[in-house]
Amino acid sequence: MSEQGETGEAITILLVEDDAPTCWRLQDALVKAGYEVRSAGTLGEARQALNSGAPRVLLTDLRLPDGHGIELIREMRQRCPDTEIMVISALGDEESVISAITVGATGYLLKDAFPTDIATTVRDLVAGHSPISASIARFIVRRTQGAAQTSAEPPPGPVLNTAKLTPREIDILWGIAKGFSYAEIASHLGLSRQTVPGHIKNIYRKLEVHTRGEAVFEAVQQGLIKL
Amino acid sequence: MNEIAAKATIRPRRRLIASRLAPYLLLQVLIALATILGLRLLQPSDPEDFALGGISLREDGAAHPVTLPHFTSSRYSLANPPLYTGAFTFRNSGAGWSVYLPRFSNAVEVAVNGIVVLDSRRDSNANRPDRNTPQIAAVPASLLHDGSNEISVRLFVWGPLKGFLDTVYVGPDAALRPAFETRTLLFVTLPVVFSAWQSILAVILAIMWLMRRHEPVYGVLAVAMVLGVVQAFVPPPVPPVTTSRLAAVLLASAPIESALIVVFALLFFGRSWPRYGTLLFLPGVVVFVAGLLGGPPLPRILFLVLGIPMVGICLLVMAGITAAQVVRRLDAASFTLGCAVTIVLICWIHDMLSVFEIMSNERIFVSRLSYSAMLVAIGAGLTWRFARALNQVDGFASQLVTRVREAEERLKASFAREEERARAAALANERTRLMRDLHDGLGGQLVSIVALSERGHEGATITDAARAALKDLRLVIDSMDDIGGDLMLALGSWRERAAMQLRPHDIALDWRVATPQGLPLHPELRPWHVIQIVRILDEAVTNAVKHAQARNVAVTIETLDGGEGPYGVISIADDGKGFALAGEGTSQTARGLRNMRSRAARCGVTFELNSDSSGTRVRLQLPQVFPDSDAAAG
Repeated sequence: MSEQGETGEAITILLVEDDAPTCWRLQDALVKAGYEVRSAGTLGEARQALNSGAPRVLLTDLRLPDGHGIELIREMRQRCPDTEIMVISALGDEESVISAITVGATGYLLKDAFPTDIATTVRDLVAGHSPISASIARFIVRRTQGAAQTSAEPPPGPVLNTAKLTPREIDILWGIAKGFSYAEIASHLGLSRQTVPGHIKNIYRKLEVHTRGEAVFEAVQQGLIKL
Repeated sequence: MNEIAAKATIRPRRRLIASRLAPYLLLQVLIALATILGLRLLQPSDPEDFALGGISLREDGAAHPVTLPHFTSSRYSLANPPLYTGAFTFRNSGAGWSVYLPRFSNAVEVAVNGIVVLDSRRDSNANRPDRNTPQIAAVPASLLHDGSNEISVRLFVWGPLKGFLDTVYVGPDAALRPAFETRTLLFVTLPVVFSAWQSILAVILAIMWLMRRHEPVYGVLAVAMVLGVVQAFVPPPVPPVTTSRLAAVLLASAPIESALIVVFALLFFGRSWPRYGTLLFLPGVVVFVAGLLGGPPLPRILFLVLGIPMVGICLLVMAGITAAQVVRRLDAASFTLGCAVTIVLICWIHDMLSVFEIMSNERIFVSRLSYSAMLVAIGAGLTWRFARALNQVDGFASQLVTRVREAEERLKASFAREEERARAAALANERTRLMRDLHDGLGGQLVSIVALSERGHEGATITDAARAALKDLRLVIDSMDDIGGDLMLALGSWRERAAMQLRPHDIALDWRVATPQGLPLHPELRPWHVIQIVRILDEAVTNAVKHAQARNVAVTIETLDGGEGPYGVISIADDGKGFALAGEGTSQTARGLRNMRSRAARCGVTFELNSDSSGTRVRLQLPQVFPDSDAAAG
């Protein structure tokens, strides 16, 4: 069995993880699911691997021996905008996941996820369904509330610009944070169930800060910086 | 014991009084001596070479020789005044001659060779007995002839004072003029200067009082000064004008002024007003009323009998007040005022002696002059005090600013310290809780992994323990997040974890939120409440997986209202085989059950469990308000 993209070729995955057992585990699960997996243990190896062609999916750990996964994600977004990117995280905590989202990642994969879940998550990702967890959704909506309250001190945790989110998108995030399924959210909000993943993809795109200049522009727009 | 204490305090007090009063009194004696000496030395000298000799006085039809200065009896009629006649020898040297009268009371009419050259009644100020106004008149050369010339002086007297005529000088104007100028300066110009000064101070003090009504001391002094100025500048009526009421006002001014000065001293030194204090004003008022009702000479008599002694009494009272103040405070203000009062008192005594002819003199009255000087000094002192008070206020304000700034700094520092302490305490609390939470779950699971590995176990059991440990770690991290009292947000994450746990076992998770808002908001919800509730839910799910062999787990979340406000209910039902509730007390299930009950009790949750062959149902009824402290921890 082999997972194939729209063109019929095997879907390539670049897996960047410095802990060998974890790397084997994930690789096994993905190879079994029919993906073509290249693995790298360091940032340098990952960059080398990229030279021989862009993968369809990048799965990367954040703490690497020779650098930070965030750098890799940023480079990847600039060089190959079509590549789907996901963070590998042990705990799925907002600190690492949100900072990865702001540079272009869409969601995260737990290191101890069951093999079937790993395969399902990647398949959904390639199909354009960016997964979002309840805790990440919760973090984002709490941050939108925090931005509404004009507090002088920035809230703790990673910087996140939620200004572009529409009320509907925020409603969807609320639903996810409270544990509702996509179907329940769609029926609550009077949407078609199929449109919810698209909304979530949009949310990810809107949370992404493309350049430093854009980040400053956004900050000025939101009144976070006074010129 | 009290008496002993009282005696003990009296003795040093007496000593204190003696030690302060004696030097003060000695100083006053010295000042008195200096004043007397000063009065003697400052007696203006007259050109004795030109004194008129051989005077004869014609009074009441009889003529007899007299020597000047001369007192005549007091009288109340202007008709038929005493007439002094004398002769002088004129030698024509081309220079103009004058007649000079240094002092007289009350008015004179001077005639040379029968022609009147001077009538002082036209100059009302010259007739005032309290002023020592000199008069000079040029004698037209045409009136004079070489040799003996006759001069006559008619002295008009209005009682009750005796009439007085000092030596009359006739001679070249150049020789007489300097003496006249000296006297004019001393007894006319100087009082005017003082009065002008007084009027300015009166205005200043009145303004001060208007702006500071609670300090009547300025007002009192201003009134005293205004009275003095009126008395000095308003020309007194000359006796033929018998109906004038003005005289009464002017006469009453002196006793009223002196009473006001006493009031001023009382206020200035912050003394309480004596019960009969108003009596001080009585003489002045009597003179005033008598002056308004009866015509002259009654007010003048009353003035002499009541007013003048009243001035003396007031001066004595003042001396007493200042002396007491010196003993009490020993400050510069009371000392200076005391010395000034002594000087005025000596001047007053001098005038009294002069009036009663006890002291040989030229009837020069100095009390009014010294009083004016004192008043000016007091006014200047008060103004100085006011300015100093302003400076003090400035200083105080700047001091206050500094103090406030210091206090602010201290407050800020202490606030920062307090905040730091609160933060440290919160951190310590949080650490304790985290430790307990990790100990409850993660710690035990890791130990279990170690034990399993050591015994050579493989695969599934270690995996399960490790997964449980990771799940618990996620739960602890998740529960630390601020969920704003919305338990639904915690349940959302839990749903994901539970689904992940159930998926490999092919158990379906049926998630049903019965009420749209889910659960009520609990602002008092704390992370440790969340952990306890989620652990109960975890235990229920774990039981369903491990022991019940269930195919389906249903979670129902709803808000109920029994009439006493809404409360949340979370139910977990599985379709497993159930278990006997009264089973072995040591089995894992029984221990899990005990744990669930104790966790529920700790956060005020009502826990119900039903189990039979068709499945197990766990019902958690949330409290309306979560308990503040850990109910079962203590």
